[in-house]
Amino acid sequence: MSVLLAILWKDLVTEWRSRDRIAAMLLFSLLVVMVFHFSLPGGVTKQTQASAPGLLWIAYVFAALLGLNRSFSIELENDALAGIALSPVDRGWIFLGKTAANWAILGAAQAITACVFALVFDLALAAVALRLALVVGLGSLGLCSVGTLFAAVAVRTRFREVMLPLLLLPLLVPVLLGAVRATTGLIETGALAWAPVQLLLVTDAIYLIVSFLVFDYVLDE
Amino acid sequence: MPPVPAASSWIRRSLLPSGLALAGLALLWILLVARAPVDGMQGVIQKILYVHVPCAFAAYAGFGVTALCSALYLWSNDERYDRLAAASAEVGVLFCTLVILTGPIWAKGTWGHWWAWDPRLTVTLLLWFIYLAYLLLRSFTEGSARTARFAAVYGIAGVFAIPLNYFAIELFGGAAMHPDNLERGSLGAGMGWAFLVGVLTGLAAFVHLLLLRTDLEALRAETAEVEPTSGR
Repeated sequence: MSVLLAILWKDLVTEWRSRDRIAAMLLFSLLVVMVFHFSLPGGVTKQTQASAPGLLWIAYVFAALLGLNRSFSIELENDALAGIALSPVDRGWIFLGKTAANWAILGAAQAITACVFALVFDLALAAVALRLALVVGLGSLGLCSVGTLFAAVAVRTRFREVMLPLLLLPLLVPVLLGAVRATTGLIETGALAWAPVQLLLVTDAIYLIVSFLVFDYVLDE
Repeated sequence: MPPVPAASSWIRRSLLPSGLALAGLALLWILLVARAPVDGMQGVIQKILYVHVPCAFAAYAGFGVTALCSALYLWSNDERYDRLAAASAEVGVLFCTLVILTGPIWAKGTWGHWWAWDPRLTVTLLLWFIYLAYLLLRSFTEGSARTARFAAVYGIAGVFAIPLNYFAIELFGGAAMHPDNLERGSLGAGMGWAFLVGVLTGLAAFVHLLLLRTDLEALRAETAEVEPTSGR
């Protein structure tokens, strides 16, 4: 547990001092929102509002891919990853620490993106803000769990930027389906549907446990 | 590093029998399919069943073997499991490609569309993506032990993703178009044997290709051992 907190603290402090990851993710997802706005015909209509949850999650996934790659590429500088791998602790906790840090940093970028998204697409998100935060938090947890595991794999391959989305996107289908359905339900009715949340909970739990167990083999140098 | 086993002799010795079994079954299969009755409703296009479903079984077998051997590799650190996993993924992707190619031909004739987002179809497509990514990961990773470890981790994650994908898509995806099961009686008279032999032929083809591919991988490892500078 202390390992988790130490890694989390280290990543957050590094991020706070440079603020480069959050800036890049935020700028990128805002750009994606802008591009969506102009690529959809006829401005804000009922139709664009109906597809808004899907678009929001696409922006989130793109931003997450950017941040996840960075979370391990900074560890490659000065061989920091080898140092982490050599420390005599259970590596599952290192994984959880990294995941928690990614989740927190992604969450900050997501919150701001959601505000801008609500303005651009004229969605009343403020009324469901808390429940939306729950859905986004659950979705991002699944995203960050397998995301962190395979970011650690992808940064040590050739074509590292290409490898992560290729590995990750087929695994993220259940997470995205659950998250988009839950978000759609929230925006349309204001109520949280149980089925997609249940799907998110199950997927998060399975991905977290599997990643926790196999992370040992990913770091093994 | 554990010593590389001498050219996995049992694999090489079983190549001839497996090849003969495949040839015999294929011959019988062709005869049975040619003699099987033409479906009253769908017409002759229904005969694609005898290719489509056996390929699907072979593809699923391939991915199952990959996942199992990935887990065994991580557990035992024995390179032979890694070679088997890699070979099985490649053969699985081959059969999966055949399933995805034969499916739309059949679908256009009977459902009227080339493609429908039916749960089983979507999951097979995702399976194909997962194992293509697995093969790409193998070819983009340097160092054989690291390749084996990374691939094994992805192979295991992939096998957990499949039931989740199926569950998710069944919950929210399109309506099911595939028949639920193939219980006794869902095939017309004279179709059962052709189907059964088709499945056996598909599995024999899978086993034979898997053995060939694993043997190749073993030879490659042996070459790398003899000539360390020219190896990958």
